[in-house]
Amino acid sequence: MTLPCHWYECDTRCIAVHQQPASLIELCLSRGIDSHRLLRGTSLFLEDVAQATTQISPSQFLVLIDNAQRLLAADDSSFLFGQRLLPGHHGAASQALALANNLQQALELLGELRALLSPLLSPRLLLDEQHAYLYWLDSCGLGEQRRFLLEANMTAVVAMSRRLGGEHLPWQFHFRQAAPRQIEQYWVHLGEDLHFNRPYDLLRLPRECLTRPWPQTVQSTAQVACQQARQQLQALGVQASLLDTLQRWLLRHVRQAPNLEHAAAALAMSPATLKRKLHKHGTSYQEQHDQIRLLVALYLYQLKGYSNDEVASHLRFHDATNFRRSFKRWTGLAPSALRQLLGN
Amino acid sequence: MPNLLRHHRLKLTALLLAANLGLLLHLAAGDLKAMAEWVWLDLIGEGGSALLALAWLGLILKSRPAGRVTNLLAIGLGCVFFSWWVDLLDEFIQIPDAITWDHWLESAPMPLGLLLLTYGLYHWHHEQLAISAQMEKRERLFREHRLFDKLTPLGGADYLRRQLELSLAQSSREQQPLSLVVIDIDDFDSINQRYGHAEGDRVLQAVTQQMLLNLRHQDLLCRLAGDRFVVLLSNTGETLARTLATELAQSIAHLAHKSRQHGERLFLSATTATVMALQESPENLLQRLNLALAKAKQPLALSA
Repeated sequence: MTLPCHWYECDTRCIAVHQQPASLIELCLSRGIDSHRLLRGTSLFLEDVAQATTQISPSQFLVLIDNAQRLLAADDSSFLFGQRLLPGHHGAASQALALANNLQQALELLGELRALLSPLLSPRLLLDEQHAYLYWLDSCGLGEQRRFLLEANMTAVVAMSRRLGGEHLPWQFHFRQAAPRQIEQYWVHLGEDLHFNRPYDLLRLPRECLTRPWPQTVQSTAQVACQQARQQLQALGVQASLLDTLQRWLLRHVRQAPNLEHAAAALAMSPATLKRKLHKHGTSYQEQHDQIRLLVALYLYQLKGYSNDEVASHLRFHDATNFRRSFKRWTGLAPSALRQLLGN
Repeated sequence: MPNLLRHHRLKLTALLLAANLGLLLHLAAGDLKAMAEWVWLDLIGEGGSALLALAWLGLILKSRPAGRVTNLLAIGLGCVFFSWWVDLLDEFIQIPDAITWDHWLESAPMPLGLLLLTYGLYHWHHEQLAISAQMEKRERLFREHRLFDKLTPLGGADYLRRQLELSLAQSSREQQPLSLVVIDIDDFDSINQRYGHAEGDRVLQAVTQQMLLNLRHQDLLCRLAGDRFVVLLSNTGETLARTLATELAQSIAHLAHKSRQHGERLFLSATTATVMALQESPENLLQRLNLALAKAKQPLALSA
C-alpha cells in the first residue's frame, strides 16, 4: 500500500526560478522595486534568475512573495501576478495548455502538471451533472501567503479561459476568507459572483462551458506538446507535494477512517517522521484529515444528496450526533445551517 | 527620484565648514570643562535640538528639487542648526568672560535662521498651491499619499470610498444629486497579452490623462482597480452623468495611443455605466455601480 516517493516538501528545490518566480520578479522590477530588497532572505541573486538550471524551494518562493507583497504595497499585486501565470512560460507544459481542445482538457492538464504549473496550491477538478468545480488545497504550508496565492491562481485560471476561449465565462468564486477590504480588485480581476466565508476555496462553472471547443487548437501539435509536458514532469522528478500526496491518499481512504500510523505506513515513513514533516509545513495530521473529511461530507451532501446519518456512516462516525459535533468544529456551523447557506 | 542630496553638496559642505570653524574658535579661545562640570540636561536638550535640526535639513534637501524655496529653507535650517551647535559647544568648553563674540555666534544665527525659514515656508505655501492646481480632478479636500495608486497616479478605491462618504453626506445636506460613472477599458487583457504589461501600464497612464482633460474641474477621477475607473460627479443628475460618460467613452475611442516599441496605433474602447446616489452607504453604491457595469458589458460578452 506504500506510495512511490515522488513528492516534494517545502524545502525541496523544485521550482525553476525562470518560470513563476521570474514573472513575479519582473513585475516588481517594472514597478521600480530594488532587486536587493526584493531578493533579501531568498538566498537568490538577480543573476540566478536568468539561469535555466536554478531551482528554489517552496519556502524560498514564499519569502519572495512576502517581500514582493510588502515592497509593492498595492492591492492588485496578486492579480497582476496571476495574469502572468497561465499558460505561462513553462515550455512544453504551457504549450500543451495553450493548445488544449477545451477548458476541461486545460484544467485536467493543470491538475496533472500541478507540480510545474501550480506548485504551492494544488487544484482539483470535480464534475457533477450541472457544474464543474475547481477547488484548491494548500499543498506547501502557505501560512499568510495563502490569500495571495489563491487570488493569483484563480485569476490565472480565469484569465487563461478568457484568452484561450475568447469569451467571458460565468465563473462563481467561493472563498474561505471573509470579504476583503479591497473587494473592487476581486470585481475587476475575477468577477461579480463572489461568495465569502465558505467552507472551501473553489471556482464553479456551468458544465457546458467546459466542453466548448477552443479556436486555436491543433490536434497533432497538442498531442506532442502533452507528451513533452509529461516528460518535463518526469524530468522534474516529483509529481506533487507531500501534503498533496497525503491529501489525495486521505481522499481515497477516507472511508476507512485512517489514523496517523496508517498514513505514515502508506508514505513509507515512521509516524514520528510524518508528524515532524507535517509540523514543518505548519499543519498536523488531524488538520489534514479534518479538511478532507469536510470536503467529502460537503461532496456527499451537495452532489449526492446524502442525509446526515448517511454521511456520518460513510465517514465511519459512531453516530450522527458525534458527526454533527465534529462538523461544527470544522466549519463553525451545524450541517443543516451550512447546507442552508450553500443551498442558494 | 535619484539622490537629490547630490545637488546640495555645496550647501552641506558650507555647513560642515561653519560647524568646524565654530569648534576650532571655541577650542582656541577657551578651556575644556571637566566631565564633572557637564550639565547633562543641557547636553541632551541642546544636542538633541541640533540633531533634529540636522534631520529636518536632510529631509528637506532629500525631498525637494533644488530651487529658490529649497535654498531659503536650507539656509534657514542651517542657521538654526549652527546656533544650537554653538550652544552645545558651550557645555564642553569654558570661554573666558572677557570674550563676547561667542554670544554673538550663539544668538545671532537663530533669529536670522528663523526669519529665513519663515520666508521660505511662505513661498512653499504658494508653491504648494501651484502644485495642488495640477492635482485638480485627482484629489479633493484631503491628501493621503498612501491611498494613491502608484501607476496612474490617481486615488485608489479606499480614497474613493472616503470621498464618497463626504460627498454623500454633503449631497443629502444640500439636497443636490450625486452621480458616479464607471469606465472600464474593453479587452484590456489582450493589450497586455499582445503588447506586454509595460505597454498596458502606459495605456492606463494615457487614458488617465485623456479622461482628466475631459472632466469638469469639480469632478474627481479615481482608479477603482485594474483597468476600471470611477468618476465622482457632485451636483450632477443622471442625465448629465450619462452625457459625460458617453463623452469619456468617445474620448477614449479617439485616443490614438501608439505603442512604444513599434509606434503602432492601439485601438481602445471603453464600456461605461452610470448610477445616481440614493440614501445609501458608499459600499452599497459601489456595489450597484459595479452591477450596472456588469449589465452594460453583458451583450458584449455574448457577442464575443
